[in-house]
Amino acid sequence: MRISKLSLAVLALVISASAAQAQTNNASITATAAVQTPINVVGAQQLNFGNVFPGVNKTVAATDLTNAGRFDVTGQASTPVTLTFTLPATLSSGANTMPIDTYTGISAATSAQTGGVAFNPVTGANPSLSGAGALFVWIGARVTPATNQAQGTYTANVTMTVVY
Amino acid sequence: MKTLTWLVIGLALLEATVPPVLGAQGKPLNVTGVRGITFGVVFPGVPRVVLRTDAANAGQFDIGHAKFSPIQITFVLPAVMTGPARATMPLVFGANDARYSSPETITSQVGFDPRVPYATTLDKNGRAAVFIGGRAQPLSSQRAGNYTATITMTITVLP
Repeated sequence: MRISKLSLAVLALVISASAAQAQTNNASITATAAVQTPINVVGAQQLNFGNVFPGVNKTVAATDLTNAGRFDVTGQASTPVTLTFTLPATLSSGANTMPIDTYTGISAATSAQTGGVAFNPVTGANPSLSGAGALFVWIGARVTPATNQAQGTYTANVTMTVVY
Repeated sequence: MKTLTWLVIGLALLEATVPPVLGAQGKPLNVTGVRGITFGVVFPGVPRVVLRTDAANAGQFDIGHAKFSPIQITFVLPAVMTGPARATMPLVFGANDARYSSPETITSQVGFDPRVPYATTLDKNGRAAVFIGGRAQPLSSQRAGNYTATITMTITVLP
């Protein structure tokens, strides 16, 4: 009889332990993200018309590696980007102005303009960065000095914006 | 008497050999990682949020166990994702970044805070899904490359 009570007590303990035991299980997942290389844009070369004379238009072609304005872009390799421009309508010298128009553009993967693609800066462009993550952009334009254009040094800013 | 004693010993041995994840109804507690959280392409300095309701990018776990089981959900949430050369990117979870969904009550999905334990009850089929979103916060100087982190969800069947 004493054994029987002991057995029942053990049985009760076993059952209660079983009932009280918390069951757990788990699983894992992964969070992932791919960080792109940030875009860096440098105004590498000014758009330089040099000396101009009253009443004589002057054009700098985008293919002019010496005088065309150039922007150098670096970023994520082989990734398309959108180029947009803020293009001035005039150059200024103090209170005097000189019209600038007929903008042209070329983008290429190398600074030698190899394989360059022409585009219209007014509407922008959608080139891709090279396999090395580089892009070079040239801007040309025309100035139309008036016959009575005042002497002086005329300047304006051309701004290029690049986004992925 | 001897028979009863052996019965008790047998039950004790049985208890020792039964896997603890078997429920009272004999149905195992299953927890499965179905899908990770995908932030995709992110840019330095630009945070990227994946909502818990984002069917394509939110993380998902499935749960299966005995019907009407009371359970508690807890997460181990990483504070960063790790990338190239052990670079890290902050990963943030908010108060409404998790969602509990029962197939029987698909229209009444419940949002909850994954940072604290959440208690609920499985439906009559003993199944549920848990979704989780989050926010990746790349620094402006974040190094380019692929970043990952592990999120673990633990289910405890309450007694």
